[in-house]
Amino acid sequence: MPDKGGGRWRRGAFFLALPSFVVFIGLGFVPLALVATWSLWSFDPDTYWIKPVWSLASYAALLNSGRAAVLLQTAGLAALTATVCTLLAVPAASLIGLLSGPRRAALLVALFTIPFFTSGLVRAFAWRLVLGREGIINKALIGLGVVDAPVEWLLFSAFAVVLGMVAAHLPLAIVPIALAFARIESSVIRASQDLGAGFWTTFSSIVLPLIMPGVLAGFLFVFVVAIGASMEIQLLGGAGASSIAIMINDVMRVVNFPLAFAIATAVSVVSILVIIVADRALKLSRFFEDRSA
Amino acid sequence: MILYPVIGDRTNGGRPLFSIITVLCLVIIYAPGFYLLLASLNPDEQLGLVAPTRYSLTWYATLLEDRRLFNSLEESVVVALATAVLATPIGLAAALAYHSMTRMRGVFLLVILSAMLVPGTIEGLGLSAVLRLVGVSPSWVTVTLGHLLWTLPFTIVVSLIGLSAVRSNTIAAARDLGAGPIRAFVDVTLPLICGSLVSSFVFAFLLSLNEYARAYYLVGRQNTLPLYMFGAMNSGASPTIYAFSGAVLVASFAVVALIFFRAARRQGASQPLTHPAREPGRR
Repeated sequence: MPDKGGGRWRRGAFFLALPSFVVFIGLGFVPLALVATWSLWSFDPDTYWIKPVWSLASYAALLNSGRAAVLLQTAGLAALTATVCTLLAVPAASLIGLLSGPRRAALLVALFTIPFFTSGLVRAFAWRLVLGREGIINKALIGLGVVDAPVEWLLFSAFAVVLGMVAAHLPLAIVPIALAFARIESSVIRASQDLGAGFWTTFSSIVLPLIMPGVLAGFLFVFVVAIGASMEIQLLGGAGASSIAIMINDVMRVVNFPLAFAIATAVSVVSILVIIVADRALKLSRFFEDRSA
Repeated sequence: MILYPVIGDRTNGGRPLFSIITVLCLVIIYAPGFYLLLASLNPDEQLGLVAPTRYSLTWYATLLEDRRLFNSLEESVVVALATAVLATPIGLAAALAYHSMTRMRGVFLLVILSAMLVPGTIEGLGLSAVLRLVGVSPSWVTVTLGHLLWTLPFTIVVSLIGLSAVRSNTIAAARDLGAGPIRAFVDVTLPLICGSLVSSFVFAFLLSLNEYARAYYLVGRQNTLPLYMFGAMNSGASPTIYAFSGAVLVASFAVVALIFFRAARRQGASQPLTHPAREPGRR
């Protein structure tokens, strides 16, 4: 849209943006700010709620060994998921951005985006059928004579959780890299080829540095979202498997509100910092420029 | 969004490896759902695949008798419709405003990105605490509020992509011919972005329908569908839940695939117009 007409357009734009500001501030920012404030209050056993007695006890409880372990474990799982997703996403996005015609590129982008709008719950649950004792993998392994008894560690294990997490979050890593490809000038690559560079030389010395912002953004996106995961861990992890989100739910159930709020505050601060870094890397604002101006 | 191939046919060294990895990615994304779908056609209590000749819709038939499932489905559809009805116009308005923003743009995108990525458990927890503070009791309305925050970033981005295909020259022409900003919007912009508004609505609907973490904190007495399904999955899942999972998966996939397919066709038709500079010379 053209930016003409000066002040009148500006005022119009403000009113157009107003409803979304109300949503983001009223439903997003205000709750987070309140949660952060309340994380410094204390539990009130009389009202079963909190009272304005300032205390850092919740943050101290956060460092209690059991809780700290869950925090670290979740961060480790998120980092592992993000690493595997990125390693798979770079070749997949490269096939889209470098080696496909427009038609196939569009088809692949669609195939990698569609799962985002289907039920994550069902997709995590489906792994149970695949990996279970009676699942197709165990049946195939036994049928082929590779093993005699069903492999137990396939399901309700760290392996199952990582597999389910990677499958769930792959699209999130692929999309930013595909966006980074869309920004590459084809003349740069042609020049490299004209100068005699083969595929791998061109890929490693020209393409990879150019898509690096997308790779970094994809890694961080997956990391942040994986930090908040609960379904995959509850459905595919073993009996004692936990994550930050599950821990928050558990702490809320025993009505330790200040502690739940403290965990939530710490995680959202870290998440937002990571998102800022990812946003800086990807420079998202460049994608919606007025191209024909 | 149009992606162009930038390496020609001369250097193809990475193609086999990259293709294998891409297929692997697609397999781990799609195969489990496909397997679940086939297993749900198995008429026996025992799970697993059976010969196609024995496929049956037994478990799908038993779905129709599950009252609690239908109550939760109804609740979810109400929430998803309300969410989509709110998120689509608000998203379009924000996208229109975005193009008139100057310094705010970066901050605005950062806010969108944060709302998209901050863990749903935390958003749900915070919102439920605030609603409790102002004395709103949980119901489908509170879930809708949580889902509005969750889906709005997506409807804004879809609208932004739709608007980026509208050339400002076209608008300028309409304005030169005497149309006011509202007339130009209704007569020129709106018909051009109609498709993205439909996508925006459907995406918001589906995202809301499948959302779990926020709803966990915001539901009233009636569970939403994902909450009900999660409970059923964790308490000795009966084959009925496989059938229902299969149905949910197929329905969502079909709707989104249809939208992508239509968008691709439309984009294919308008491609030379939107990117005249990049067309000639490239294969």
